[in-house]
Amino acid sequence: MTTAPADWERVLLPNIEKDETEWIDAYMGGGGYDVARKALDMKPADIIAQVKDSGLRGRGGAGFPTGMKWGFLPQGLYPRYLAVNADESEPGTCKDRPLMEQRPHTLIEGVICACLAIESEKAFIYIRGEYYKAAKVMQKAVDEAYEKGFLGKNIFGQQGRNVDLVVHRGAGAYICGEETALLTSLEGYRGYPKLKPPFPAVSGLYGKPTIINNVETIINVPFILRNGAEWFKKWVHERTTGMRLYSVSGHVKKPGVYELPPTVTLKQLIYDICGGIRNDHELKFVIPGGSSVPWLKPDQIDVPMSHEGVAAAGSMLGSSAVMVMDHTVCPVWAVANLSHFYHHESCGQCTPCREGSAWMHKILRRLEKGGGTMEDLQTLRDIAGEGKPGSGMISGKSICALGDAAAWPVGSALSQFWDEFVEHVEKGGCKYENKRHWMANGKFVNERFENMPVL
Amino acid sequence: MLTILKERTEEIEKVAAKYPSRRSAMLPVLWMVQQQEGWISQEAMEEVAEVLGSTVAEVYEVVSFYTMFQQKPVGKTHLALCDTLACAVCGSMEAAEYLKTKYGIQKDKVTPDGRFSLEYVECIGACSIAPAMLVGEVLHGNLTPESLDRIIASCP
Repeated sequence: MTTAPADWERVLLPNIEKDETEWIDAYMGGGGYDVARKALDMKPADIIAQVKDSGLRGRGGAGFPTGMKWGFLPQGLYPRYLAVNADESEPGTCKDRPLMEQRPHTLIEGVICACLAIESEKAFIYIRGEYYKAAKVMQKAVDEAYEKGFLGKNIFGQQGRNVDLVVHRGAGAYICGEETALLTSLEGYRGYPKLKPPFPAVSGLYGKPTIINNVETIINVPFILRNGAEWFKKWVHERTTGMRLYSVSGHVKKPGVYELPPTVTLKQLIYDICGGIRNDHELKFVIPGGSSVPWLKPDQIDVPMSHEGVAAAGSMLGSSAVMVMDHTVCPVWAVANLSHFYHHESCGQCTPCREGSAWMHKILRRLEKGGGTMEDLQTLRDIAGEGKPGSGMISGKSICALGDAAAWPVGSALSQFWDEFVEHVEKGGCKYENKRHWMANGKFVNERFENMPVL
Repeated sequence: MLTILKERTEEIEKVAAKYPSRRSAMLPVLWMVQQQEGWISQEAMEEVAEVLGSTVAEVYEVVSFYTMFQQKPVGKTHLALCDTLACAVCGSMEAAEYLKTKYGIQKDKVTPDGRFSLEYVECIGACSIAPAMLVGEVLHGNLTPESLDRIIASCP
């Protein structure tokens, strides 16, 4: 079922353009915290059942069904913890920041509902260190909620019902977005991922059962409880439900964070919603779900932006972060940039990821500079594989998925743009002029930068 | 003996009390140090270890893992310019070149007057307003030569 644009409802960020924080009085004026109050009288199993029924899936990247995740908690084991993953670090993704900056109380209400569902009395929001403003806004909102008695002991005046919420800041590490690394970091250590099983639902924070959910996942919960699962399923493509936030960046005319149903196609998103490619350039490739997913070429973009739609095109929806690249971008340079990222962010525990990401980066830089050989391309292919799970020397061979994330874009770039890799070898380096470095004749070579309106 | 954290023990105890384990206060306390001092020195790490009941090695292990913890002094205003893909294709390196040629602000260096230091960082979650840069604690997006001029002029 496809809904018409007239039925698209901006639920999560209706006023994103205004960039204003909704503080507690405004939020309560619109019925805020009524859902949490109502949820206090619901059985935990009933809350979980509603969330399950809505089809809500994790919005952090993996897309795991939220209700099912909550159901994995072992019976009778307490205390339990909730950790909200606000370590939004996947390149391209920038939706949780406006959510926290603009709707902190909706998130807090979501935390309360989730805690009631999973019978937890303590929750943490782990916010990446770079999000200074989001952390300040969240802390102030949490203080407001404590003052009103919505957080803390005996919430909403009900004896024995407690929910504590702690705002915790990271300090610059992509890996801490991985759920087990997030917990290790929250415990005060280096953000090292842990081997699963045991899964955090069984043994997580401080060795206790822990549920980790993304900001956008949690913030959807109050809406589902208020309006019902059927309402949430109005926007559906196969098994992807609800309005969701798409972060669009790169060479579109109107980059931004857009709230759309999963039926919207990637083509619509780029050309109708975002106004097409800057300066009416040619589209070169699209990264549809955050930097770690396989790339799509222009003939592959007529697909719905749902988990199933993007998978059918050979990639992944991930965190629904769409990076659009026009014909001025060299694919070898672009993947070298990403491999630098993964090399820098590898935590260093597992040899395949630590060494593999470094080798890929070094080889890609050599190809760019000139001096690359056909043997280099083979080595790259051996390390990165085909850009699919389990292929190559890294994917599936490390504790967490960072290794896979490092390998997939390289494998995919090799498959999609093999000829250009070969050309880099044959021509002794990169033939693209207009992609990165510096100024030509005192003018910025990057057109966007040159034409950008004054802020 | 505490000097750097002397005035802040009460605050630290309040933070530590939020967590089931004292060790969880490690990152918050290191942030306190950095916000107060601008960076995290050897002496500061020794004090953090003393306050939290950890060893200095354990503190250093954490400090050296997280890229936002500065291990040497930075300028009065620290600039963190994103050079990951979305920002890079929208001109972050051109912005870097502008900062260098016009203001002498160079990567990984503090300007001679101590006003600025610059670091290239990985994605800062501002991809839709690329190119983006953190100026101290404030995020600036859609950087242009004009906006950079204004940012620089507004810094102490």
